[in-house]
Amino acid sequence: MDGKKIKLSLEHISQSYILNNKAFDAVQDVNFDVYDNEFLVILGPGYCGKTVLLNILSGLEAPVEGTVRLDGEVITGSDPRIGMVFQKTSLLPWKTVMENVEVGPKMAGVPKEERRKTAQKYIDMVGLQGFEKSYPSQLSGGMKQRVGIARAYTNSPEILLMDEPFGALDAQTRYAMEEEVQKIWQSEKRTIIFVTNNIEEAVYLGDRIVLLSNRPAHVKAIYDIDLPRPRDTVSEEFLRIRKEISDNTDLAL
Amino acid sequence: MSKKSAEIVLSKSELQERRRKILYRILPVVSVLLLIIAWVVASGGDQSAFPSPMAVYERFLKFLEKPVQKLSLGQHILASLGRVLAALISSWVLGISFGILIGWNKKANALLGPIFTAFRVVPPLAWIPLITIWFGTGEFPKILVVFIGAVMPVVVNTQAGMSNVDQQYLDVGRIFNANKRQLLLDFAIPSALDAIFAGVRTSASAAWMVVLAAEMLGGKSGVGFLITRGMESGDLPLVLLSMICIGVIGAILAIAMQLIERWVCPWTVKKSN
Amino acid sequence: MSVVPESDKQAAVEQRIAMVQKKKRQEKRTYLLLSILGIAVFLGVWELASDLNLVNSRYLAAPSTILKLFFTKLTDPNPDGAVLGVNVLASLQVSLTGFFLAIIIGIPLGLLMGWYGGFESFVRPIFELVRPIPPVSWIPLTIVWLGIGLPAKAFIVFFSAFVPCVINAYTGIKQTSPVLINFAKTCGASNFTTFWRIGIPSSMTMVFAGVRVALGNAWATLVAAEMLAASSGLGYMILMGRQFARPDLILLGIVVIGVIGVIFTAILGWVENKVLGWKK
Repeated sequence: MDGKKIKLSLEHISQSYILNNKAFDAVQDVNFDVYDNEFLVILGPGYCGKTVLLNILSGLEAPVEGTVRLDGEVITGSDPRIGMVFQKTSLLPWKTVMENVEVGPKMAGVPKEERRKTAQKYIDMVGLQGFEKSYPSQLSGGMKQRVGIARAYTNSPEILLMDEPFGALDAQTRYAMEEEVQKIWQSEKRTIIFVTNNIEEAVYLGDRIVLLSNRPAHVKAIYDIDLPRPRDTVSEEFLRIRKEISDNTDLAL
Repeated sequence: MSKKSAEIVLSKSELQERRRKILYRILPVVSVLLLIIAWVVASGGDQSAFPSPMAVYERFLKFLEKPVQKLSLGQHILASLGRVLAALISSWVLGISFGILIGWNKKANALLGPIFTAFRVVPPLAWIPLITIWFGTGEFPKILVVFIGAVMPVVVNTQAGMSNVDQQYLDVGRIFNANKRQLLLDFAIPSALDAIFAGVRTSASAAWMVVLAAEMLGGKSGVGFLITRGMESGDLPLVLLSMICIGVIGAILAIAMQLIERWVCPWTVKKSN
Repeated sequence: MSVVPESDKQAAVEQRIAMVQKKKRQEKRTYLLLSILGIAVFLGVWELASDLNLVNSRYLAAPSTILKLFFTKLTDPNPDGAVLGVNVLASLQVSLTGFFLAIIIGIPLGLLMGWYGGFESFVRPIFELVRPIPPVSWIPLTIVWLGIGLPAKAFIVFFSAFVPCVINAYTGIKQTSPVLINFAKTCGASNFTTFWRIGIPSSMTMVFAGVRVALGNAWATLVAAEMLAASSGLGYMILMGRQFARPDLILLGIVVIGVIGVIFTAILGWVENKVLGWKK
């Protein structure tokens, strides 16, 4: 598609679980490509299998069928090139902000001084300087999610997965965080795959939106959003796209 | 300022609230006073069956002058504490390691879990007769009994913590490509520290109780020995004095455990802020 | 989209289900085998160590010897003066008396303390003063007061079971969700009604945890009480085992004590399931 480089491709991904001797399909034959440095939003109703899809991309789960290709080669298991910002912030409560952020390079055996420098850079980037020695329990929900973002960036992944990162935040903080993520994405170009069930959030952030159906999730439609950034959430065009997607979305179960 | 605040008119319910607060502050004092009065009255009748607080205090002063079994009160306390400390440290080291092993590795748990359970259901004091047959009445058998009493809660809690590690922490570890060793050391064990510490706290009070019983059943030093000595020689003030010492030290031990927990797991404390 | 016939799909799913089941069964079998192996090796080493006289019989008795003694002891009162059944009954009588007294007194006390501030500020200081004194250290005083009969031992057991009952009932009712309390108040319930209908039911989980601890404590303390002040019971039996240098008697006592402890826990678990069934 007009010379954009394909970064990640999902080919015939299906996932189902065996529960009490019955098979439950969570994801069914999902196909789409992700372009380099794009902000891709996966939008779907609650409990439709979005998280399952993300877990497959991150290598936490292996799909029953299908393959994931990164730069053309098949990947299995978790790959350092793919980072993740979790739904429940999943900060480690026993580590300080600094220790949480540096966890990626630490696991990779990067020397302390070096990894602290990288971590500091991203702590500053998300605006948490001064909180390096705080524990997660001392932070607000928005701040925790910032730490989660800094932690993912510090591991310098090529692709960042974000699993409904702002789902638990209040509306005010949520808007602020959406703006923040967009700013960070613009200054530190990475491919971002952002999962949400919020249509407005999807239209506000995404270059493209992959709309999923109810469970078992499959791709219903893919939208290109060509609005200039930062987007005006009350402009006519924005509202039109929002309504179009909204009309096409399955009701959550 | 204070004068002004006194002039503020309080509503009826506020007045009630204030009266209640004052009452709540007085009641504890009243209750403790009543307890002491009850003690004095109860001891008023038969001094040989129930010594008065004064008698206990006099016994304390006498103890300062004349040691029992050539040891001062402090030395007896230290003897008990030494046994507890030796048993506690070894029970923490071994208990936590064993708990991690059977909590983390399902096969190890299948192999060793049932045997551990068989030992766990036996009250620690029940081992005393067997241990005295094996090792006599010296220092080691006492420490061993205390160790058995202390190690059980440590293992049980560590195992529970390690087998219920929150999946999200392990997911974080896997996302950041932690290897198996890192998953265990950097994610699973720290997340189980709360549970481990619950075991450590219980182990301290258990150890203190077991050391008393062990000393009462045979020994020539320690606060448990003082109780038995007091009973055998009809010296009830000494019995009560020892009981008070035991209570105070037990309470101090509990506080010490809390301080250690704060120091080892600072993040659990800061939650309250 | 690739087109797969429906019947093939169905077959594939069934195959997967069968595979998952097989894996589960295999896992279960492995664990069971490991458990049996662990116990068998333990018992085997123990048996061999005593049969081959690796350990002097003055120190250790083989599992088979203990089993034989179990049957002898059912009818033979030697050497401690009572047959096994009498000892067990004596121990049960003491521990259950103390345990039930602790429940009857301790739980209401804890509940009232947790709900009514005035009562708490009066009772709690006394409770906190008495609590850190281990039950075992009460033994000499109770002997002077009550002799070495049932009341003395039951008192010691009572004391050990009483503390966890009070603490758990207290914490349990303190943790009653304020939402529920406010709801009851909005419905016009009096403070006592709220206590009775909301506070007590919602504290039950904690109360049962306390009862479980209390039962363990009661049984453990009973052994101590019977070793220090008794003329019958399982604790007394193992103490006599030491006096007569009979490791088989001691080990039999330990096993019986352990087994009864397990039975207690099982019964309590069953009761808890009956009472707290709605929790699931």
